[in-house]
Amino acid sequence: MPLKMFSEERKKEQPRVKHIIAVAAGKGGVGKSTVTANLARALHWLGFTVGVMDTDIYGPSIRKMLPESQLPAQNGQAISPALCQGISVISMAFFRKESESSAVRAPIANSIITQFIKNVAWGNLDYLLIDFPPGTGDIQLTLSQQANLTGAILVTTPQEVAVMDVRKAMHLFDLVQVPIVGIVENMSYYLNPQTKEKVHLFGQSGGERLARDSGVPFLGGIPIDASLCKSGDTGVSIFDEANIESKESAEHFLRLARQIVAHVEALTTSSKDCLKGFELIWQEMK
Amino acid sequence: MNIRKTPILVSSIKQKDNHTFSIVWSDGAVKDYRLSELQKRCPCANCVDESTGKRILNDANVNADVRAVKIVSIGRYALRIQFTSGCSTGIYGYDMLYQL
Repeated sequence: MPLKMFSEERKKEQPRVKHIIAVAAGKGGVGKSTVTANLARALHWLGFTVGVMDTDIYGPSIRKMLPESQLPAQNGQAISPALCQGISVISMAFFRKESESSAVRAPIANSIITQFIKNVAWGNLDYLLIDFPPGTGDIQLTLSQQANLTGAILVTTPQEVAVMDVRKAMHLFDLVQVPIVGIVENMSYYLNPQTKEKVHLFGQSGGERLARDSGVPFLGGIPIDASLCKSGDTGVSIFDEANIESKESAEHFLRLARQIVAHVEALTTSSKDCLKGFELIWQEMK
Repeated sequence: MNIRKTPILVSSIKQKDNHTFSIVWSDGAVKDYRLSELQKRCPCANCVDESTGKRILNDANVNADVRAVKIVSIGRYALRIQFTSGCSTGIYGYDMLYQL
C-alpha cells in the first residue's frame, strides 16, 4: 500500500467562546444593561476578548450604550456581530429603528433569541456576556437551557423591592442548574462630592444581605454616578482617557471585572472534581 | 476588597456517625461537623431575628442528640440541613462551614 504523501488534513479549529455569562435580575430598571456594557468594557480593558448579546427584544439598550463602528452582517445562516469599541455585539436594535417597537409575540421573540444563540459567528471569545431581559419567563428559560451558560451574575439595587425579584431570578437559575457567579449591587450609594459622605438613597446593603442569605458571593457595589449615566447616553466609554470624570466608575468596574474573572476561572477549574448537586439521606448507624 | 480567588466547593460529603458528617473540601481539607453544633449556628429566620441579627434560639434548647433527616446542596455554595428537631430552612454557606 503506498504511503500517504501528507498526513491527514488538519482539522480546522473551531472558534470557541470560553465563558458564557448571563447578566440577569428578574427585574427591570436595576441597570443590567449598564452593568453589562461597562463590565464588557472593563474585561476588554483587562485584555480579554469580549462579546455582548443583548437579548432584550422589546427594549434593547446596549446599542445606545455601545455604539458600533461596524454593523452586523449576514452570510447565509451566519450573522457576524457588530463591532463596538473592540467588543462584538448583537442586539435586536440593529434590526429595528430606534423609535420602532418590536411588537412580536413570545414564540417569535424566542426564535430570534434561538437565532442569536445558534447563528451568530462570535469567533474566539474569552467572555460572552448575555444581557437578560427582565422577568423569569420564556426567553430567560430558552437562554438558560440553550446558551450553555457558564454562570450568571445577578444585578440588584439595595432596596427590598428589587431584591425580592432578584430572588426569583436566582430561583430560576437554581432550577436550571446554572451556577451563580455572584451578586452585583448597582446604585449602592451616592457619594456627596462636598462632604464625601455616602448617601444610601435606596437603602443599604440589600445586595450584600441577599448574597449572605443565599450563600452566593457578593461581587461588589457600583455607586450612583452622573458620568456613568452620561456614558450610557452618549456611548463614550468610561475607560476613555479623555473622560476624566468617569475615572472612579471605571475603577469600580475594573474591580468588579477582576472579581468576576477570579470567580469564573475558579468555577470552571475547581468544579471539575467537585459535587454539582447532592442529597445526603441520614441513616441510622450502629 | 472582597476578593475570593478560589470559591470553596465540596468534593465529597458522608455521614460519619449518627450525629456527625464529614466534608472533603475542594482544597483537600477534611472537616467533621456535629449536627448539634451546627444547629446552634442555624441562620434561619426562626433562629435569628432578621432585623436585629440577634439569636433567638437558646443554645441550651438544642438537643445534643439532634440528628439530620437529610442534607442537600443549595446551588454550589451552601448546604441546607433538615434537622430531626424540625428546623430545616437554615442555609449554611460553604465559607462559613469551611471556617468552623
